[in-house]
Parts: sequence; C-alpha cells; structure tokens
Amino acid sequence: MNRDIILGFLHFILIAAFQVFVLNGLNIFGYFNPMIYIWFILMLPTNTPKWLGLILSFLMGFTIDIFSGQVGFHAAALTLIGLIRPLFISIFFSGKDIQTNLRPSIAEMSLMTFLPYIASLVFLHHFIYFTIEIFNFSEFFLTLLRIICSTIITTLLILLCDFFFIPKRKLSH
Amino acid sequence: MRNLIRFLKRYSYIFLFIFLEGLSIYIISQNSFYQGSAITSFANEIAGNVNTKTYNISRYFTLGSSNEALVKENARLRSMIESSYVKYQHKTFQYNDTIYKQQFEYIDAKVIQKTINKRNNYFILNKGRVHGVTNNMGVISPNGIVGVVVNVSSNFSLVMSVLHQDSRPNIKNQRTKISGTLVWEGGDYSSGKLVDIPSSIPLKIGDTIITSGFSQDFPEGIMVGKIKNFKKDKGTGFYVVDIKFSVDYNKLEYVYIVKNFFKEEQVQLTKDIKNE
Repeated sequence: MNRDIILGFLHFILIAAFQVFVLNGLNIFGYFNPMIYIWFILMLPTNTPKWLGLILSFLMGFTIDIFSGQVGFHAAALTLIGLIRPLFISIFFSGKDIQTNLRPSIAEMSLMTFLPYIASLVFLHHFIYFTIEIFNFSEFFLTLLRIICSTIITTLLILLCDFFFIPKRKLSH
Repeated sequence: MRNLIRFLKRYSYIFLFIFLEGLSIYIISQNSFYQGSAITSFANEIAGNVNTKTYNISRYFTLGSSNEALVKENARLRSMIESSYVKYQHKTFQYNDTIYKQQFEYIDAKVIQKTINKRNNYFILNKGRVHGVTNNMGVISPNGIVGVVVNVSSNFSLVMSVLHQDSRPNIKNQRTKISGTLVWEGGDYSSGKLVDIPSSIPLKIGDTIITSGFSQDFPEGIMVGKIKNFKKDKGTGFYVVDIKFSVDYNKLEYVYIVKNFFKEEQVQLTKDIKNE
C-alpha cells in the first residue's frame, strides 16, 4: 500500500512535468496535440476507491490547467474520465483482473485487452476536451479531425511509454 | 432512514463527481474569455515563476537565432536614428518639440510561456502591472503583430494571441489601402484568413498586409503577413483571403507591449457619441 502511494506520487509529478514542459510546447501540423497526463488515471490500480479516482483526476487536470494558462478545461474532461473508468474496466477486463488489484499495463495483460481500454478512454477524453475548449459546432469536422489525430498520437505515446518505462515484473499471483 | 443513508453512502462518489465537475465548469465559465479572476492571476503568478525558470534553461538553445534577430533589429533601428540622416531642412527640426507629441511607447518583454496548438492560444509575458502594463494593450514583435493583453498580475501578463477565435484585429492592404479583418480558424499556426475585403478592388498574391491603425491597440503599419491565396465568395461580394503570417509564433521570444497615450481620449470620444 505504501509502495503504491509513493509510486503514484512519483508518476503524478513525472507525467505532469512531461506534459507541461515537453508536450505542451509541441505542435505537429496543428492537429496532433498529445495529452499523456490521462495515462496517470488510466494506470491506477483496478480497485482504487471511486472517490480517490475522482479526486486524483481533478487534481491532475487542475495541475495541467494551471501550467497551460487555461483554467478548468483539462480538469472538467479528466474528472469525467475518472467517473467512467470503473465502468470501462468492468467492460474490458476479466473478473480475475479486477479482483487482483493490478495496474493496467502491457506487462500485466495482453495488448488486445490493454489497447481497446486505453484507446476508447483517450478518445472519449479528447472528445470532451476539444468540445469544451472550442465550444462551437460550426467547425465540427475540423474539431473531429483534431480529436481523431490527437487520439492516435496520445494512444501511441502511452503505449510507447508503457513499453519502455513500466518494468516487466513477474506476476506475483 | 437507514436505507437513505445506505443509498447516500453507496452513491457518495456520484455527488463528489457532481461537485468536482461543477467546480471545473464554474471555473471555466468565470474565466472563459478574460480569464480575469483572482484564481487565474494567482495561478499565473505561480506558473509564471516556474516557467521563468524553465525558460532560463531553454533559452540557451536558441541564443544563436535570437541574437541574429536582435542584430537585425539593431541595424534597422540604427538606420532610423537622427545621426544617420543628413540635416536637410533646418526648419523641420527647429520646431520638433511642439510639432511632435509622442503617441506610442513600447515596453519590451519576453515570452515565458506560449501555446500555439490549441484552438484558442495565449502567451504569458514577464512584464506586469508594476511595469505599467494594463489590459487591452497591443503586443507586437520585431516581425509583426502578436496579440492583445487580456489579464495582468503584478509581474506577469496574459496575452490573447491572434491565434484565437475572439481575436479580430483590423488590417489593411498596404498597396490598395482597403481594410478588412484578420481571423484565425484553427489548425496551421503559420497562416490566417482575411474577411470583409470587398471583391470590387483587385488583389495580388504577395500583397503585404499591415495593421490599419483604426483600433486603438496597434499603431498603423505593423506587419501582419503576405497574401498567399485568394478567391471570390460569390454570395457576399467579399474576398476570402489566405495569408501567411510574418511572425513565426512557435519561435516567438522578444516582444514589445504597445502603450497608446491617446487611447483614453479616443475611447472617450466614441463613448460620448454613443451616449447621445
């Protein structure tokens, strides 16, 4: 339990710093905006209490907001993800996975379970985020293009980071 | 009663969600355009300090190109000072003090944080209220137009970039003097769009677009960009014009905040008319 808290704290700082100092300055053709900070919420252990998940998502969103000069947008989108994440876990993961408090990552499960879980939540997050940020249906198709491009790049980035930074430890159970 | 408590306990996280989501939306609604609340100013103060530190590290990597830009500007300014001109007509200089009155003053500032990849983009500058910056001041760079100050804390200021859906500066064609409005529709940060230009007067690809000076925020003649492409909109009788910005907003580092000494007088004048 203690280890989880320290690890979570470390993840929070590292991911937020990566997002703020590296990715926020990145612009690829104007349509690809990677937002890796969602990963922090997606990789929380499967039986994290729901209230804790919500508070952590709000805190993460708010931190990113403060450093990108637009207060509220990231927090609103990520809090919604914090709410529906348990639902998606019960859809995509087997009952055994949910009971044995595991962190969703390639090391713990097959790519075919991991990828749909990540991609669908990332898409949903981007959809909410860009809808709130732009708040204008007259540019609907441009917004949709932006959402799809960003979903692809964020998902790829999460897969890459997961592959390189999450240690492949032996399953303990 | 017990059932009610059990119900509340079971779904307490829903209430927490509603609270947090409501809080986010409240903050957004408070800050949607001017971002003027105390929270934002405070946040800018903190974020500004952190970003100054990271900027101090990262600017070493761009020293070369910014030096080059500064040298170029120095050269341009040096060519404009009095000593580079021959005194041709003594009369003009004699009455200098009473003929000319300064209208614009420039406060130099550094960009310490910027976004260019959002639909609505902002800059944060390292000059604030203590340096004399106030809301609605124009911001320009050596290469052209940048944006308008929308929020000021004591040491930093937030600038609404021209890459923003609410930014609609007035511009004109340097050759034909016909004026219009600059808008940005998202996507590529190096090109924007001009609207409200009547299609009765012919345009040319490569025409230079400058600020018109009709709004009080910018002096006349600040570079905006060059016409890249244009077509007639058959329904309205106006052109739809694509331009390439003269400023590379991704590399923006040094800017000038424009202070207009006559602004209040100008604003007051239009206000008087409206009141009648």
